Amino acid sequence: MKKKLIKINVLDVLIILAVLAMGSWFVFRINTALDYQWNWSIIPQYMFRFDAEHGWVPNMLMQGFFMTIKLSIWSTILAVILGTTMGLCKISGSLYKRLISNSYVEIIRNVPPLVLVFIFYFFIGDQIMTVLGVGDTVRSFSDTTKFWINIFFAPAPQFPEFLSAVITLGLYEGAYITEIIRSGIESIEKGQWEASYALGLSKSQQMIHVVLPQAVQRILPPLAGQFISIIKDSAIVSVISIQELTFQGMELMAATFLTFEIWITITALYFFLTFFCSLAAGWIENRYRESGYLA
Amino acid sequence: MIEINNINKAFTNGITALKNFSLTVQRKEVVVIIGPSGSGKSTLLKCLNGLEEIDEGSIVIDGIPLDHQKKNRLEIRKEVGMVFQSFNLFPHMTVMENINLAQMVVRKKSAAQAQETTMELLTKVDIASKAGSYPAQLSGGQQQRVAIARALAMMPKVMLFDEATSALDPEMIGEVLDVMKNLAKEGMTMIVVTHEMGFAKEAGDRIVFMADGEIVEQGTSEKFFNNPEKERTKQFLSQIF
Repeated sequence: MKKKLIKINVLDVLIILAVLAMGSWFVFRINTALDYQWNWSIIPQYMFRFDAEHGWVPNMLMQGFFMTIKLSIWSTILAVILGTTMGLCKISGSLYKRLISNSYVEIIRNVPPLVLVFIFYFFIGDQIMTVLGVGDTVRSFSDTTKFWINIFFAPAPQFPEFLSAVITLGLYEGAYITEIIRSGIESIEKGQWEASYALGLSKSQQMIHVVLPQAVQRILPPLAGQFISIIKDSAIVSVISIQELTFQGMELMAATFLTFEIWITITALYFFLTFFCSLAAGWIENRYRESGYLA
Repeated sequence: MIEINNINKAFTNGITALKNFSLTVQRKEVVVIIGPSGSGKSTLLKCLNGLEEIDEGSIVIDGIPLDHQKKNRLEIRKEVGMVFQSFNLFPHMTVMENINLAQMVVRKKSAAQAQETTMELLTKVDIASKAGSYPAQLSGGQQQRVAIARALAMMPKVMLFDEATSALDPEMIGEVLDVMKNLAKEGMTMIVVTHEMGFAKEAGDRIVFMADGEIVEQGTSEKFFNNPEKERTKQFLSQIF
């Protein structure tokens, strides 16, 4: 394919000028009206710091960044499992299963996520985790186990909070994934069900061999979009003291008062993460299309 | 082989598709069903393997009643092959995998056994060179021949054809009809819903003319096309010839 020549017309120039003017005006306002002292030089040390024992180690901002990634990945795994189960229930012939999945989706989607976070935190985090003794169990683990828990989840003392945050986000996003899975399966032509039925395949065999493999290809793009949503939504659990990126930002701001530098940095980190994920999602989608059967 | 006794079928929107419909098909007989659209032909075929539920009456295929026992239903689905107007090949599988699937999953054959049968069938429908292609890479006629091979792979005793050539370009109809004619010659019991009068004349042992969910007239192809008795039949034939 030939690359299209980019033509810039008067309107484009005006828009670019307007954006630049806006930016300059903001900086001007901050500098003059607020008499703000910019101090970017302090930011890098909050990303990585030098430790006499371990060399360069991630500091608060990067710790938060990694926490956000771990939180998003585990929540997504939980949400996909939950969403697939509920999505299958939603198209099931059994009224009972449909009732369960519909109630789940409707309750989650009609309550503000922030409220859900508090409810789940006080129920799961405060009650269930304590009753199950999750905190004590983790504390009793050997140091090696704790080390790996720290790598893959969160520092051992914060593990129960991390777990309840994952469950909260997983339950919340699961409701949206339920709908993605349901619509993916329902988008498969009726003829596919009919043909596999006529060949003697049972209901579950029709699902496993014929419908799901086709549905997955249609589900993947919106699922990738949902993963990006999860990364962004994970900021909400900062209110229950999960030390992810947004939480660390608030902490740092309280300590240094470098409001603009910190939030600009955090914006850039979130953007870097989600933009990278959108690129990856686009790449996967393209590869599917190229390798796929849609000749 | 197939006994259909007084079946009734109405859709939930109130349209009656089949009215007290009865038909008996002998072993090795090729029954061609013709009639205007909306006369219940496709619905009849779908009722025969349980894709549509009948409201009243009974269907018995090769001694097995189509009732609510799962075992009987599965047995009938295995014994009755079906070919659809829109092919309904599985787009995510190659031709080979399409035909292997039910052999392995339902008939529990090994992959090697299934492949052997598949290649035999593909040779039979004259498309063996396309075993590794995906359905989207084939022409309509080729796809329909694969669909026929896929149904035959279950070694069915009865084959149902639901307007198998209606979605094809004219130059591809012949290749599919040839496969169907060969099947008929080999002694397959077939019920064929079609608009191809040439096929009906040549391969049909019996022609059944349906309108409004009922049989208007039936007879051998010779008698049916040359000396139709009913006025409705004459009217229909005059419209298509």
